[in-house]
Amino acid sequence: MTTAPPTSSAAHTDPTGMVTPASAGPGRRRPRTWSLLGDVRRKPTPYEIVTSRFHYHFRRQPAPFEMSPDTPLNLWYLKHREGSPLQVEDWEAFRDPDKLTYQSYVARQADSEVVIDGIVDQYEARDHDASLDPRWVAALAKIYVPSRFALHVMQMSALYLGQMAPSAFITNAAHFQAGDELRRIQWVAYRSKSLSLCHGGNLGESKPAREVWEQHVAWQPAREVLERLLVAYDWGESFVALNLAVKPALDLVLTDTLAEVAEANGDGLLAAIGRELSLDGSRSKRWSAALARFALEADPQVRPLLEGWVQRWSEPAARGAEALAGLLSDAPRPGPAAAEVATKVRDQHQALLAECGL
Amino acid sequence: MPKLARSQWYDLTRDMNWDLRYVSEEEAFPTDMSDARGVPAQEWWRWDEPYKISYGEYVHNQADKDASVYSVNSAIGRSHIFEDLDAGWRSAIVAHYGAIAVPEYVAGIGESRMARFGRAAAWRNMATYGTLDETRHGQIQAYFAHSLLDKEPRADWAHKALHTNEWGAIAARSLFDDMFTGNDAVSTALQLTFTFETGFTNLQFLGMAADALKVGDVDFGALISSIQTDEARHAQQGEPTLRILVANGQKQEAQRLIEHMFWRSWHVFALLTGLSMDYYTPLEQRNHSFKEFMNEWIVKQFMDQFRDFGMDLPWYWEEHFLSELDWYHHALHLGVWFWRPTVWWNPDAGVSPDERDWFEDKYPGWNDSFGRWWDVIGENARRGEIAQTLPETFPMVCNMCQIPVVTPAGYAAGYLSSTVPHVLDYNGRRYTFCSVPCKWIFESSPERFAGHTTIVDRLLGGEIQPPTVEGALRYMGLSPEECGDDATGYAWAHATRSAPSAAGVA
Repeated sequence: MTTAPPTSSAAHTDPTGMVTPASAGPGRRRPRTWSLLGDVRRKPTPYEIVTSRFHYHFRRQPAPFEMSPDTPLNLWYLKHREGSPLQVEDWEAFRDPDKLTYQSYVARQADSEVVIDGIVDQYEARDHDASLDPRWVAALAKIYVPSRFALHVMQMSALYLGQMAPSAFITNAAHFQAGDELRRIQWVAYRSKSLSLCHGGNLGESKPAREVWEQHVAWQPAREVLERLLVAYDWGESFVALNLAVKPALDLVLTDTLAEVAEANGDGLLAAIGRELSLDGSRSKRWSAALARFALEADPQVRPLLEGWVQRWSEPAARGAEALAGLLSDAPRPGPAAAEVATKVRDQHQALLAECGL
Repeated sequence: MPKLARSQWYDLTRDMNWDLRYVSEEEAFPTDMSDARGVPAQEWWRWDEPYKISYGEYVHNQADKDASVYSVNSAIGRSHIFEDLDAGWRSAIVAHYGAIAVPEYVAGIGESRMARFGRAAAWRNMATYGTLDETRHGQIQAYFAHSLLDKEPRADWAHKALHTNEWGAIAARSLFDDMFTGNDAVSTALQLTFTFETGFTNLQFLGMAADALKVGDVDFGALISSIQTDEARHAQQGEPTLRILVANGQKQEAQRLIEHMFWRSWHVFALLTGLSMDYYTPLEQRNHSFKEFMNEWIVKQFMDQFRDFGMDLPWYWEEHFLSELDWYHHALHLGVWFWRPTVWWNPDAGVSPDERDWFEDKYPGWNDSFGRWWDVIGENARRGEIAQTLPETFPMVCNMCQIPVVTPAGYAAGYLSSTVPHVLDYNGRRYTFCSVPCKWIFESSPERFAGHTTIVDRLLGGEIQPPTVEGALRYMGLSPEECGDDATGYAWAHATRSAPSAAGVA
């Protein structure tokens, strides 16, 4: 498949992907790179070359964009980005631990899609869908099939975060995450259609799924927190709300717990797809924890701010997850009790916050 | 492979629209970011993209495309191909990277604005691919330019141009911020995708790719033709958006948005592509003129597109746009070459005797209109009086397109009835425009532009100190080594006409 962008033969790549200079000894010429990166001592990595200082508009004077300073979009960015309470001196110093570029993102995801294609292929060859208990399929109609609406809100929210973030190192990670959500949605759609062909009913139609999302009582706490997430317009709050509260909580139910319960109900296919897709969720947690740690190290004074946002969003998110977990009790082999899932959400959330240094 | 074809499940990923309950429509899709022009939410749910692709297909295609283009770059990087390229062509590349690489990256923000604030899930999904595409275009072009730094220090402008106040960078920022970075989702669909990406990117990316291959610049040719395959896909967001606006009584507003951005795109691309194609590309490879490309890729295509959607041709089509095709970029070229220290590339005069024959053929009357100015400049160059060919003052700059006003050259060439720029007094301030459509765009939405200052406004307002050419160059971020100079060391002024049969024999 693809290879990483070639690096200078005078340099070598260490196991973390960082390129170190062949020699930093006296008399050696400084590596030639973008002048805006300043007096660099090591050759920037390909990741840094294509990411550093791309947001020319951040903290630009007199306004982010080259038009009247008081146009709606200038005022929007001045309020929700430059005016956010979440500020550190240099957002350009943040790095995504996965160091993703577009090229490495699509290469990685292409490989992962091959994995899922292979899984689906194997199960389809065994006529897997016909082996599923109709009561399990009925449970999926309530929690799995409509989940694409919730995933779509998380896609939208990641795209907002991407367009508002103060550096391309953050923007790109958020935009790739939005791509991940689109991917998950498409596998939900694929499986929904597939189940409908074998089990009939209206699994392959939009209207019933939308009705569950809009009207089923178990979906409303999640839907409420997701709709409110859409209007969390401060860029910092949108990051904390999505990636440190709402997404980890809902992912735990909609991907991880669902995969466990699927396994117990003979749906190894859904379990295997879920396990592969949860790698995307893990990546989201990695860069999000790294960003929170970065901000705390850059300015310890942001701690109460981050903690306040976490507090504001984590309880509604956990309530949304708990209510959804209740839907799994309808499975022939029921999932863990909703309260148990809620505990797990809170435990995992604590673990994520510990990763964040919060 | 999985059994189901994309067409069997795809619609389920498009139909993810729902009625908001816990927040209002205006809260979730504020007018500032979305501006549905009053078209009701459910009307937008009919949005139907003409081009469909799955995520799996997307990442496979894109990974393959990237692998191919990066390997060309890697191979070329070890060769001397770049050093051997024509000096004028190298200028075209350096100009392109500065004006295009980072703007393409931030077009990803315009795409993510549509992907968040677009009013239909199907649209938001298409724009999500668009967001990823533009991330690719910004990164891959920056990467290619970076690989040139050892051979061409001015490739640094691929990265820094938009951070500076160089006048061309201001013009590019002004265009692209107006078009997408600082625009609402609905306007962006019409102005970025329908107006700009279906026409003008073809011109720069396909037209220049064809020239690149003829010139022997495989690297650049492979790069931009690969980029255009993405543009062709995500550009299709404009069409369904336009259909919904027209179906809901918003044709006039759609017409205005398109007319606004078509004109602005034309001016910046006359500057970028016009000069590159007609003056910087070596004569041997200059088969088609910029005007011919414009006629083929823009005029014909837009006329078809407008007719297909029941839209009217822009009001300025005949009198201003088609007329400018004959003279505007020639006038800009005179100005850019004369004010060459103010640009980050080395303008190629491109007016040797053989080239002048080509201009006379492609633009009949060119020698009498524009050639006569070059006669004087060439005479000065031959006498070694280079100072006579350099500026001591500043031109007026248009308050809309941010490009120097070249009406005197248009008048002298016989295309305009007056040398005088167009002025408008608004809220106690006088604004100057290079053309009637630029003034019209300002007047259509003055609140969007009135608080902005051109580089000359800043000079006159005391923001640029000292108010001299040197002070202005410093303000523009141009070091003495970076200031543009004649690409060929004035070789064109000393060249003689080749023998009539030479081209055929070669």
